[in-house]
Amino acid sequence: MSTVLAVARLELARQFASLSGWGLLAVLAALHAWWFLAGLDGWIELADRLAARPDAPGIGDLVVAPFLAGVGSSLLVAAPLVAMRAIAGEVRARSLPWLLASSGSDGAVVVGKWLAASSMLALVVAIAIGMTLTLAAGTGLDLARIAVSALGLVLLAAALAALAVLASAWVRQSPAAAMLALALGVLLWIADAQARARGETEGLIQWIAIPGHLQPFLRGVIDTSAIAYFALFTVTCLVLATWRVAAIRSEG
Amino acid sequence: MNPREPMPTEPALEYLDATRSRDGRLVLAGVSLVIEPGALVALLGANGAGKSTLLAMAAGVLAPEAGSVRVFGRDPLRAARDLRCRVGWLPDPVPLYPELRVREQLAASARLRGLAAGAATRAAEAAIDRVGLAALANRLCGQLSRGESQRVGIAQAIAHGPELLLLDEPSAGLDPMQQARLADLLAGLRGAMTIVHATHHLIEAAIADRIVILDRGRIARDAARAELPDAEAIGHALVTVALAPAAEAA
Repeated sequence: MSTVLAVARLELARQFASLSGWGLLAVLAALHAWWFLAGLDGWIELADRLAARPDAPGIGDLVVAPFLAGVGSSLLVAAPLVAMRAIAGEVRARSLPWLLASSGSDGAVVVGKWLAASSMLALVVAIAIGMTLTLAAGTGLDLARIAVSALGLVLLAAALAALAVLASAWVRQSPAAAMLALALGVLLWIADAQARARGETEGLIQWIAIPGHLQPFLRGVIDTSAIAYFALFTVTCLVLATWRVAAIRSEG
Repeated sequence: MNPREPMPTEPALEYLDATRSRDGRLVLAGVSLVIEPGALVALLGANGAGKSTLLAMAAGVLAPEAGSVRVFGRDPLRAARDLRCRVGWLPDPVPLYPELRVREQLAASARLRGLAAGAATRAAEAAIDRVGLAALANRLCGQLSRGESQRVGIAQAIAHGPELLLLDEPSAGLDPMQQARLADLLAGLRGAMTIVHATHHLIEAAIADRIVILDRGRIARDAARAELPDAEAIGHALVTVALAPAAEAA
């Protein structure tokens, strides 16, 4: 475990030692703030009419949940940018053999890289959650629902980071790795779009697609099958990435 | 037993018929070599002779396709986690992260090799002193010259206090003054650790206790220092090895 943490710490130090890490965080925070304020604006415009209806949806349904769903979709782009050079960058700089020899484990390098990317994305989620919590100053918030939504977003971030690390292990150019991770992520995001349009909610394609597993969390429901899905997704990607790294190492 | 203490009867490094190919070309053809603890060994040979491959095998990165490699009696691939704190490796090119400062790089490397955070920081400072990097300690690795990078790479390889030090062309990019300092550094480390260094520099090779000349993946000459006492004798041996196939063909 200490090796995994050492790899993750090194990777995070590299991210924050360069402008790219801070820049990505700043751009995402600005984008999320804009979405959040736009949602809040819309709710304020409707507030008087909503107040007249006893069964009107609250701010949690009209502002927080759509905003956090948008944060989830933004992770599709953020994860490849954060993790694109995880393995591909090491291969390109010819530093992967040294890193593997220093850590003594292919798996520790892959998991450490994934942990660092997941931590970056978790920070993005934390900033977005912080924005929603500012609403508590002026209105009642369902904090439990926000906490469960945060859990769902962190699980999503971990899964997308694992996918991006896998892409980075498979492709030797970092930009190509980012494109591959983005393409796979989008494919998994829209895989069940047609089925949803037909009103189908159960089937293999719905189980494979990501959005159906995030939705329960955004409604405040802890769905154990969704947790299992994200865990299986993450572990599968990390095992495949480790296998690929071992293959790269043995090629010399 | 303290796991960091080598067993006195055990070789530090042992190759037995180690064979490895790359891109369909035989890089190592059944190399057998035993290196005792505390030895300072120079590996010489033309580019492509197999020097880097021998070192990468000992570092636990490459496996032999046939034969075996043992580091302190253990398979360096299977026991990689246990051996990582006992082995230091400077590959070519030097693996440095351009965004990190020199002292951050050295501390991160020591942590990877198994040292706790505080110990890694102290080890990095000690390596900075030992290699004379104080003036570079706060520079970004991406701003270093080739020679400076090489010196940081050497500090990185020794920072965690390894028992076996593998150096792949440590003097590449160093000016004559720096080469002389490197030779002094290696001489200072003699006995404290087993050192195997691949080099093209005859003066650097001349400080070794033992000189191994590789030729097309085979050991062409394995000589004690008494047999090849100076750079001139080593150079002569290298030329003899290089010309041997042509002479045989003639």
